[in-house]
Amino acid sequence: MDWLQNYFNFRIVGNYADVFIAGVGQTLWISALCLFLALIIGTFVALARMSSNPLIWRPVAAYIQFIRSTPLLIQIYLVYYGLPSLLPRGYGDFFDETQTGIIALTIHTAPYMGEIIRAGIESVNRGQIEGALSVGMTPRQTLMNVTLPQALANVMPPLLGQTAVLIKDTSLLSIIAVFELMGAGLQMFSETVIATESYVTTAVCYLGIYALMLVLSGMAQNKLGGNAWKAN
Amino acid sequence: MEMIADKLSIVQSLWPFLIKGLWVTFQISMISILFGSLIGFTLGIGKTLGNVVLEKCINAYLHILRGSPYLVQLYIIYFVLPSLGIAWLSFDSYTAAIVSLSLYTSSYVTEIVASAIFAVPNGQSEAARSVGMSKTQTYRNVIIPQALKLTIPPMASVYVIVIKSTAVLSVIGIAELTRQGEVAIMRMPGDIMFIYLLIAFFYFLYCYPVLRFSKWAEGRFGQLGNDLH
Repeated sequence: MDWLQNYFNFRIVGNYADVFIAGVGQTLWISALCLFLALIIGTFVALARMSSNPLIWRPVAAYIQFIRSTPLLIQIYLVYYGLPSLLPRGYGDFFDETQTGIIALTIHTAPYMGEIIRAGIESVNRGQIEGALSVGMTPRQTLMNVTLPQALANVMPPLLGQTAVLIKDTSLLSIIAVFELMGAGLQMFSETVIATESYVTTAVCYLGIYALMLVLSGMAQNKLGGNAWKAN
Repeated sequence: MEMIADKLSIVQSLWPFLIKGLWVTFQISMISILFGSLIGFTLGIGKTLGNVVLEKCINAYLHILRGSPYLVQLYIIYFVLPSLGIAWLSFDSYTAAIVSLSLYTSSYVTEIVASAIFAVPNGQSEAARSVGMSKTQTYRNVIIPQALKLTIPPMASVYVIVIKSTAVLSVIGIAELTRQGEVAIMRMPGDIMFIYLLIAFFYFLYCYPVLRFSKWAEGRFGQLGNDLH
Protein backbone atom coordinates (compact mmCIF):
# COMPACT_ATOMS: atom_id res chain seq x y z
CA MET A 1 0.00 0.00 0.00
CA ASP A 2 3.01 2.28 0.27
CA TRP A 3 2.91 3.27 -3.38
CA LEU A 4 -0.60 4.64 -2.77
CA GLN A 5 0.70 6.99 -0.08
CA ASN A 6 2.60 8.93 -2.73
CA TYR A 7 -0.67 9.84 -4.37
CA PHE A 8 -3.18 9.78 -1.53
CA ASN A 9 -2.06 9.87 2.07
CA PHE A 10 -4.93 7.98 3.68
CA ARG A 11 -3.22 8.02 7.09
CA ILE A 12 -3.68 11.79 7.37
CA VAL A 13 -7.27 11.40 6.20
CA GLY A 14 -7.67 8.83 8.98
CA ASN A 15 -6.59 11.46 11.49
CA TYR A 16 -9.36 13.71 10.25
CA ALA A 17 -12.02 11.01 10.06
CA ASP A 18 -13.99 12.43 12.99
CA VAL A 19 -13.97 15.92 11.46
CA PHE A 20 -15.38 14.56 8.21
CA ILE A 21 -17.96 12.44 10.02
CA ALA A 22 -19.06 15.53 11.94
CA GLY A 23 -19.15 17.43 8.62
CA VAL A 24 -21.33 14.79 6.95
CA GLY A 25 -23.65 14.81 9.95
CA GLN A 26 -23.89 18.58 9.89
CA THR A 27 -24.54 18.65 6.12
CA LEU A 28 -27.29 16.03 6.43
CA TRP A 29 -28.84 17.77 9.40
CA ILE A 30 -28.82 21.21 7.75
CA SER A 31 -30.23 19.79 4.50
CA ALA A 32 -32.96 17.87 6.32
CA LEU A 33 -34.07 20.94 8.26
CA CYS A 34 -33.98 23.12 5.13
CA LEU A 35 -35.93 20.49 3.19
CA PHE A 36 -38.59 20.32 5.88
CA LEU A 37 -38.95 24.11 6.12
CA ALA A 38 -38.78 24.58 2.33
CA LEU A 39 -41.53 22.00 1.75
CA ILE A 40 -43.85 23.79 4.18
CA ILE A 41 -43.10 27.27 2.85
CA GLY A 42 -43.07 25.87 -0.69
CA THR A 43 -46.62 24.56 -0.25
CA PHE A 44 -47.75 28.05 0.78
CA VAL A 45 -45.80 29.55 -2.13
CA ALA A 46 -47.53 27.15 -4.51
CA LEU A 47 -50.99 27.92 -3.09
CA ALA A 48 -50.33 31.67 -3.14
CA ARG A 49 -49.00 31.45 -6.70
CA MET A 50 -52.21 29.70 -7.79
CA SER A 51 -54.43 32.27 -6.10
CA SER A 52 -56.61 34.39 -8.36
CA ASN A 53 -56.06 37.52 -6.26
CA PRO A 54 -53.33 39.62 -7.96
CA LEU A 55 -52.37 41.13 -4.59
CA ILE A 56 -51.34 37.65 -3.49
CA TRP A 57 -49.91 35.98 -6.59
CA ARG A 58 -47.97 38.95 -8.00
CA PRO A 59 -45.63 39.44 -5.01
CA VAL A 60 -45.12 35.68 -4.77
CA ALA A 61 -44.35 35.47 -8.49
CA ALA A 62 -41.83 38.31 -8.08
CA TYR A 63 -40.22 36.45 -5.17
CA ILE A 64 -39.96 33.28 -7.27
CA GLN A 65 -38.45 35.17 -10.21
CA PHE A 66 -35.96 37.00 -8.00
CA ILE A 67 -34.73 33.78 -6.41
CA ARG A 68 -34.52 31.99 -9.74
CA SER A 69 -32.55 34.73 -11.48
CA THR A 70 -29.93 35.55 -8.84
CA PRO A 71 -27.08 33.34 -7.63
CA LEU A 72 -27.41 31.54 -4.31
CA LEU A 73 -24.13 33.06 -3.14
CA ILE A 74 -25.57 36.59 -3.43
CA GLN A 75 -28.72 35.49 -1.60
CA ILE A 76 -26.60 34.03 1.21
CA TYR A 77 -24.67 37.31 1.46
CA LEU A 78 -27.90 39.32 1.46
CA VAL A 79 -29.33 37.24 4.31
CA TYR A 80 -26.03 37.16 6.18
CA TYR A 81 -25.54 40.92 6.12
CA GLY A 82 -29.19 41.95 5.90
CA LEU A 83 -30.82 39.77 8.55
CA PRO A 84 -29.12 41.40 11.61
CA SER A 85 -30.37 44.85 10.55
CA LEU A 86 -33.94 43.53 10.24
CA LEU A 87 -33.94 42.26 13.81
CA PRO A 88 -34.81 44.60 16.67
CA ARG A 89 -31.97 46.62 18.15
CA GLY A 90 -29.79 44.60 20.48
CA TYR A 91 -30.78 41.29 18.92
CA GLY A 92 -28.51 41.69 15.87
CA ASP A 93 -26.58 38.51 16.66
CA PHE A 94 -29.68 36.51 17.60
CA PHE A 95 -29.00 33.92 14.87
CA ASP A 96 -25.56 32.32 14.62
CA GLU A 97 -23.94 31.48 11.25
CA THR A 98 -25.54 28.05 11.00
CA GLN A 99 -29.03 29.38 11.66
CA THR A 100 -28.47 32.25 9.23
CA GLY A 101 -27.31 29.72 6.64
CA ILE A 102 -30.39 27.58 7.19
CA ILE A 103 -32.63 30.63 6.78
CA ALA A 104 -30.84 31.64 3.56
CA LEU A 105 -31.04 28.14 2.09
CA THR A 106 -34.71 27.84 3.02
CA ILE A 107 -35.49 31.15 1.36
CA HIS A 108 -33.58 29.92 -1.69
CA THR A 109 -35.15 26.45 -1.90
CA ALA A 110 -38.79 27.28 -1.05
CA PRO A 111 -39.68 28.77 -4.50
CA TYR A 112 -38.17 25.80 -6.34
CA MET A 113 -40.15 23.43 -4.13
CA GLY A 114 -43.20 25.66 -4.59
CA GLU A 115 -43.00 25.44 -8.37
CA ILE A 116 -42.64 21.66 -8.21
CA ILE A 117 -45.58 21.35 -5.80
CA ARG A 118 -47.65 23.63 -8.02
CA ALA A 119 -46.95 21.40 -11.00
CA GLY A 120 -47.99 18.48 -8.79
CA ILE A 121 -51.25 20.10 -7.72
CA GLU A 122 -52.04 20.95 -11.34
CA SER A 123 -51.37 17.34 -12.31
CA VAL A 124 -54.10 16.04 -9.98
CA ASN A 125 -57.21 15.12 -11.88
CA ARG A 126 -59.89 17.80 -11.60
CA GLY A 127 -62.50 15.12 -10.90
CA GLN A 128 -60.71 14.08 -7.73
CA ILE A 129 -61.13 17.55 -6.24
CA GLU A 130 -64.74 17.86 -7.45
CA GLY A 131 -65.49 14.44 -6.03
CA ALA A 132 -64.01 15.30 -2.65
CA LEU A 133 -65.92 18.57 -2.51
CA SER A 134 -69.17 16.93 -3.53
CA VAL A 135 -69.02 14.32 -0.77
CA GLY A 136 -68.96 17.26 1.66
CA MET A 137 -65.25 17.77 2.39
CA THR A 138 -64.23 21.32 3.15
CA PRO A 139 -61.68 22.91 0.76
CA ARG A 140 -59.05 22.50 3.46
CA GLN A 141 -59.83 18.80 3.94
CA THR A 142 -59.79 18.32 0.18
CA LEU A 143 -56.34 19.90 -0.04
CA MET A 144 -54.86 17.97 2.85
CA ASN A 145 -56.44 14.56 2.20
CA VAL A 146 -56.97 14.40 -1.54
CA THR A 147 -54.95 16.94 -3.53
CA LEU A 148 -51.60 17.16 -1.74
CA PRO A 149 -50.98 13.41 -1.23
CA GLN A 150 -51.54 12.74 -4.92
CA ALA A 151 -49.60 15.85 -5.94
CA LEU A 152 -46.55 14.85 -3.89
CA ALA A 153 -46.61 11.29 -5.23
CA ASN A 154 -46.75 12.64 -8.78
CA VAL A 155 -43.80 15.01 -8.40
CA MET A 156 -41.56 12.75 -6.32
CA PRO A 157 -38.76 12.57 -8.97
CA PRO A 158 -38.24 16.35 -9.33
CA LEU A 159 -38.62 16.77 -5.54
CA LEU A 160 -35.82 14.27 -4.97
CA GLY A 161 -33.75 15.99 -7.66
CA GLN A 162 -34.22 19.32 -5.94
CA THR A 163 -33.29 17.70 -2.62
CA ALA A 164 -30.02 16.53 -4.18
CA VAL A 165 -29.41 20.11 -5.37
CA LEU A 166 -30.17 21.36 -1.84
CA ILE A 167 -27.59 18.99 -0.33
CA LYS A 168 -24.99 20.24 -2.81
CA ASP A 169 -25.96 23.86 -2.15
CA THR A 170 -25.16 23.53 1.55
CA SER A 171 -21.48 23.54 0.48
CA LEU A 172 -21.79 27.27 -0.26
CA LEU A 173 -22.56 27.92 3.41
CA SER A 174 -18.88 27.25 4.13
CA ILE A 175 -18.25 30.72 2.67
CA ILE A 176 -20.07 32.32 5.61
CA ALA A 177 -18.11 30.10 8.05
CA VAL A 178 -20.79 27.49 8.69
CA PHE A 179 -19.23 24.17 9.64
CA GLU A 180 -20.41 21.37 7.32
CA LEU A 181 -18.80 18.90 4.96
CA MET A 182 -17.09 21.55 2.81
CA GLY A 183 -16.08 23.31 6.03
CA ALA A 184 -14.49 20.06 7.22
CA GLY A 185 -12.46 19.91 3.99
CA LEU A 186 -11.42 23.55 4.37
CA GLN A 187 -10.45 22.97 8.00
CA MET A 188 -8.27 20.02 7.06
CA PHE A 189 -6.68 22.04 4.25
CA SER A 190 -5.93 25.00 6.49
CA GLU A 191 -4.31 22.76 9.12
CA THR A 192 -2.36 20.38 6.89
CA VAL A 193 -1.99 22.39 3.62
CA ILE A 194 -2.40 19.27 1.50
CA ALA A 195 -5.02 19.98 -1.12
CA THR A 196 -5.43 16.52 -2.64
CA GLU A 197 -6.44 14.65 0.49
CA SER A 198 -8.61 17.46 1.85
CA TYR A 199 -10.70 18.13 -1.23
CA VAL A 200 -10.82 14.65 -2.72
CA THR A 201 -12.08 13.30 0.62
CA THR A 202 -14.72 16.03 0.67
CA ALA A 203 -15.80 15.10 -2.85
CA VAL A 204 -15.94 11.40 -1.96
CA CYS A 205 -18.14 12.17 1.05
CA TYR A 206 -20.53 14.19 -1.12
CA LEU A 207 -20.63 11.37 -3.67
CA GLY A 208 -21.43 8.97 -0.82
CA ILE A 209 -24.39 11.10 0.24
CA TYR A 210 -25.50 11.30 -3.40
CA ALA A 211 -25.26 7.50 -3.77
CA LEU A 212 -27.38 7.13 -0.64
CA MET A 213 -29.93 9.51 -2.17
CA LEU A 214 -30.04 7.40 -5.34
CA VAL A 215 -30.68 4.23 -3.32
CA LEU A 216 -33.41 5.93 -1.26
CA SER A 217 -35.10 7.35 -4.33
CA GLY A 218 -35.05 3.88 -5.88
CA MET A 219 -36.85 2.61 -2.79
CA ALA A 220 -39.34 5.48 -2.94
CA GLN A 221 -39.95 4.62 -6.57
CA ASN A 222 -40.86 1.04 -5.71
CA LYS A 223 -43.04 2.10 -2.81
CA LEU A 224 -44.99 4.98 -4.29
CA GLY A 225 -45.17 4.14 -7.97
CA GLY A 226 -46.94 7.40 -8.86
CA ASN A 227 -47.74 8.44 -12.43
CA ALA A 228 -44.49 10.31 -12.96
CA TRP A 229 -42.39 7.22 -12.33
CA LYS A 230 -44.15 5.18 -14.97
CA ALA A 231 -43.45 7.80 -17.62
CA ASN A 232 -39.71 7.61 -17.06
CA MET B 1 -33.77 63.06 -0.90
CA GLU B 2 -30.26 63.13 0.45
CA MET B 3 -30.28 59.36 0.80
CA ILE B 4 -31.22 58.89 -2.83
CA ALA B 5 -28.49 61.30 -3.95
CA ASP B 6 -26.05 59.41 -1.74
CA LYS B 7 -27.00 56.05 -3.26
CA LEU B 8 -26.86 57.51 -6.75
CA SER B 9 -23.30 58.68 -6.17
CA ILE B 10 -22.38 55.15 -5.03
CA VAL B 11 -23.90 53.72 -8.20
CA GLN B 12 -22.03 56.29 -10.25
CA SER B 13 -18.64 55.51 -8.73
CA LEU B 14 -19.18 51.72 -8.90
CA TRP B 15 -20.68 51.60 -12.37
CA PRO B 16 -17.45 51.05 -14.36
CA PHE B 17 -16.30 48.23 -12.04
CA LEU B 18 -19.63 46.46 -12.07
CA ILE B 19 -19.86 46.70 -15.86
CA LYS B 20 -16.35 45.26 -16.07
CA GLY B 21 -17.41 42.45 -13.73
CA LEU B 22 -20.53 41.78 -15.76
CA TRP B 23 -18.39 41.58 -18.89
CA VAL B 24 -16.13 38.95 -17.29
CA THR B 25 -19.21 37.03 -16.10
CA PHE B 26 -20.58 37.18 -19.64
CA GLN B 27 -17.30 36.02 -21.17
CA ILE B 28 -16.78 33.09 -18.82
CA SER B 29 -20.39 31.94 -19.01
CA MET B 30 -20.35 32.15 -22.83
CA ILE B 31 -17.08 30.22 -23.23
CA SER B 32 -18.18 27.63 -20.67
CA ILE B 33 -21.55 27.00 -22.23
CA LEU B 34 -19.87 26.67 -25.63
CA PHE B 35 -17.33 24.08 -24.50
CA GLY B 36 -19.84 22.45 -22.18
CA SER B 37 -22.30 22.07 -25.04
CA LEU B 38 -19.65 20.56 -27.30
CA ILE B 39 -18.69 17.97 -24.67
CA GLY B 40 -22.29 17.40 -23.68
CA PHE B 41 -23.44 17.02 -27.27
CA THR B 42 -20.78 14.40 -27.99
CA LEU B 43 -21.48 12.45 -24.79
CA GLY B 44 -25.24 12.81 -25.26
CA ILE B 45 -25.04 11.20 -28.69
CA GLY B 46 -22.67 8.58 -27.28
CA LYS B 47 -25.27 7.69 -24.68
CA THR B 48 -27.90 6.90 -27.33
CA LEU B 49 -25.74 4.67 -29.54
CA GLY B 50 -26.73 1.54 -27.65
CA ASN B 51 -23.21 0.57 -26.58
CA VAL B 52 -23.61 -0.64 -22.99
CA VAL B 53 -19.99 -0.08 -21.90
CA LEU B 54 -19.92 3.44 -23.33
CA GLU B 55 -23.26 4.22 -21.70
CA LYS B 56 -22.02 3.01 -18.29
CA CYS B 57 -18.88 5.14 -18.58
CA ILE B 58 -20.89 8.24 -19.50
CA ASN B 59 -23.32 7.58 -16.64
CA ALA B 60 -20.42 7.34 -14.18
CA TYR B 61 -19.09 10.67 -15.48
CA LEU B 62 -22.53 12.23 -15.04
CA HIS B 63 -22.96 10.84 -11.54
CA ILE B 64 -19.59 12.19 -10.43
CA LEU B 65 -20.37 15.67 -11.78
CA ARG B 66 -23.97 15.63 -10.54
CA GLY B 67 -23.16 14.17 -7.15
CA SER B 68 -20.62 16.70 -5.94
CA PRO B 69 -21.11 20.44 -5.44
CA TYR B 70 -19.63 22.80 -8.01
CA LEU B 71 -17.54 24.46 -5.29
CA VAL B 72 -15.77 21.15 -4.58
CA GLN B 73 -15.17 20.55 -8.28
CA LEU B 74 -13.69 24.01 -8.62
CA TYR B 75 -11.37 23.43 -5.65
CA ILE B 76 -10.26 20.08 -7.03
CA ILE B 77 -9.49 21.50 -10.46
CA TYR B 78 -7.79 24.62 -9.09
CA PHE B 79 -5.92 23.23 -6.06
CA VAL B 80 -5.62 19.45 -6.50
CA LEU B 81 -4.70 19.07 -10.18
CA PRO B 82 -1.54 21.25 -9.94
CA SER B 83 -0.25 19.06 -7.10
CA LEU B 84 -0.23 16.06 -9.44
CA GLY B 85 2.89 17.58 -11.01
CA ILE B 86 1.69 17.40 -14.62
CA ALA B 87 2.61 20.69 -16.27
CA TRP B 88 -0.42 21.21 -18.49
CA LEU B 89 -2.83 20.48 -15.64
CA SER B 90 -1.54 23.43 -13.59
CA PHE B 91 -4.22 25.87 -14.61
CA ASP B 92 -4.26 29.54 -13.77
CA SER B 93 -7.46 30.71 -12.10
CA TYR B 94 -9.12 31.81 -15.35
CA THR B 95 -8.49 28.49 -17.12
CA ALA B 96 -9.48 26.51 -14.03
CA ALA B 97 -12.74 28.45 -13.92
CA ILE B 98 -13.53 27.73 -17.56
CA VAL B 99 -12.51 24.07 -17.41
CA SER B 100 -14.52 23.34 -14.26
CA LEU B 101 -17.57 25.24 -15.45
CA SER B 102 -17.45 23.55 -18.87
CA LEU B 103 -17.32 20.10 -17.28
CA TYR B 104 -20.14 21.05 -14.92
CA THR B 105 -22.25 22.35 -17.82
CA SER B 106 -21.54 19.26 -19.91
CA SER B 107 -23.24 17.07 -17.30
CA TYR B 108 -26.51 18.94 -17.80
CA VAL B 109 -26.18 19.14 -21.59
CA THR B 110 -25.49 15.40 -21.91
CA GLU B 111 -28.76 14.55 -20.15
CA ILE B 112 -30.68 17.05 -22.26
CA VAL B 113 -29.27 15.90 -25.60
CA ALA B 114 -29.72 12.23 -24.73
CA SER B 115 -33.33 12.66 -23.66
CA ALA B 116 -34.07 14.85 -26.70
CA ILE B 117 -32.75 12.12 -28.99
CA PHE B 118 -34.84 9.52 -27.15
CA ALA B 119 -37.86 11.81 -27.52
CA VAL B 120 -37.72 11.60 -31.33
CA PRO B 121 -40.24 8.89 -32.25
CA ASN B 122 -38.76 5.52 -33.21
CA GLY B 123 -40.68 5.54 -36.47
CA GLN B 124 -38.49 8.38 -37.70
CA SER B 125 -35.25 6.42 -37.52
CA GLU B 126 -36.94 3.21 -38.70
CA ALA B 127 -38.28 5.03 -41.75
CA ALA B 128 -34.90 6.60 -42.45
CA ARG B 129 -33.18 3.21 -42.18
CA SER B 130 -35.76 1.53 -44.39
CA VAL B 131 -35.30 4.02 -47.21
CA GLY B 132 -31.63 2.98 -47.22
CA MET B 133 -29.92 5.64 -45.08
CA SER B 134 -26.88 4.54 -43.13
CA LYS B 135 -26.85 4.89 -39.35
CA THR B 136 -24.69 8.03 -39.60
CA GLN B 137 -26.98 9.55 -42.22
CA THR B 138 -30.01 8.79 -40.07
CA TYR B 139 -28.46 10.58 -37.14
CA ARG B 140 -27.22 13.53 -39.18
CA ASN B 141 -30.24 14.17 -41.35
CA VAL B 142 -33.22 12.84 -39.41
CA ILE B 143 -32.74 12.46 -35.67
CA ILE B 144 -30.42 15.30 -34.68
CA PRO B 145 -32.28 18.09 -36.53
CA GLN B 146 -35.49 17.10 -34.75
CA ALA B 147 -33.78 16.60 -31.40
CA LEU B 148 -31.94 19.92 -31.49
CA LYS B 149 -35.21 21.81 -31.60
CA LEU B 150 -36.30 20.11 -28.38
CA THR B 151 -33.06 21.04 -26.60
CA ILE B 152 -33.59 24.82 -26.96
CA PRO B 153 -35.83 25.46 -23.92
CA PRO B 154 -33.82 23.36 -21.41
CA MET B 155 -30.55 24.73 -22.79
CA ALA B 156 -31.71 28.24 -21.89
CA SER B 157 -32.31 27.15 -18.30
CA VAL B 158 -28.89 25.51 -18.23
CA TYR B 159 -27.42 28.80 -19.39
CA VAL B 160 -29.04 30.50 -16.39
CA ILE B 161 -27.53 27.84 -14.11
CA VAL B 162 -24.12 28.57 -15.64
CA ILE B 163 -24.48 32.33 -15.13
CA LYS B 164 -25.47 31.79 -11.52
CA SER B 165 -22.60 29.35 -10.98
CA THR B 166 -20.06 31.97 -12.08
CA ALA B 167 -20.75 33.79 -8.79
CA VAL B 168 -18.92 30.95 -7.03
CA LEU B 169 -15.79 31.79 -9.04
CA SER B 170 -15.28 34.81 -6.80
CA VAL B 171 -13.74 32.45 -4.21
CA ILE B 172 -10.74 31.77 -6.47
CA GLY B 173 -10.34 35.48 -7.21
CA ILE B 174 -11.81 35.81 -10.70
CA ALA B 175 -12.80 39.46 -11.12
CA GLU B 176 -16.39 38.74 -12.12
CA LEU B 177 -19.49 40.54 -10.92
CA THR B 178 -19.60 39.15 -7.37
CA ARG B 179 -15.87 39.67 -6.85
CA GLN B 180 -16.10 43.26 -8.12
CA GLY B 181 -18.87 43.82 -5.60
CA GLU B 182 -16.73 42.41 -2.79
CA VAL B 183 -13.87 44.71 -3.80
CA ALA B 184 -16.30 47.64 -3.84
CA ILE B 185 -17.43 46.68 -0.33
CA MET B 186 -13.84 46.83 0.88
CA ARG B 187 -13.77 50.42 -0.37
CA MET B 188 -17.19 51.36 1.04
CA PRO B 189 -17.89 49.05 3.97
CA GLY B 190 -20.90 51.11 5.05
CA ASP B 191 -23.07 50.10 2.10
CA ILE B 192 -22.82 46.30 2.10
CA MET B 193 -26.53 45.68 1.64
CA PHE B 194 -26.96 48.28 -1.08
CA ILE B 195 -24.00 46.96 -3.08
CA TYR B 196 -25.16 43.35 -2.82
CA LEU B 197 -28.66 44.37 -3.86
CA LEU B 198 -27.12 46.20 -6.82
CA ILE B 199 -25.21 43.07 -7.82
CA ALA B 200 -28.35 40.97 -7.40
CA PHE B 201 -30.12 43.43 -9.70
CA PHE B 202 -27.36 43.05 -12.33
CA TYR B 203 -27.68 39.25 -12.21
CA PHE B 204 -31.45 39.61 -12.43
CA LEU B 205 -31.17 41.80 -15.54
CA TYR B 206 -28.96 39.15 -17.11
CA CYS B 207 -30.84 36.00 -16.12
CA TYR B 208 -34.49 37.02 -16.22
CA PRO B 209 -34.69 37.52 -20.02
CA VAL B 210 -33.05 34.12 -20.56
CA LEU B 211 -35.60 32.49 -18.24
CA ARG B 212 -38.42 34.24 -20.09
CA PHE B 213 -36.97 33.02 -23.38
CA SER B 214 -36.87 29.48 -22.00
CA LYS B 215 -40.54 29.71 -21.03
CA TRP B 216 -41.44 31.11 -24.44
CA ALA B 217 -39.39 28.47 -26.24
CA GLU B 218 -41.20 25.76 -24.30
CA GLY B 219 -44.43 26.87 -25.89
CA ARG B 220 -42.80 27.32 -29.29
CA PHE B 221 -40.66 24.17 -29.59
CA GLY B 222 -42.37 21.86 -27.12
CA GLN B 223 -41.42 20.52 -23.75
CA LEU B 224 -38.99 17.65 -23.38
CA GLY B 225 -40.94 14.59 -22.27
CA ASN B 226 -43.19 15.12 -19.27
CA ASP B 227 -40.36 16.30 -17.12
CA LEU B 228 -41.80 18.68 -14.56
CA HIS B 229 -38.65 20.73 -14.04
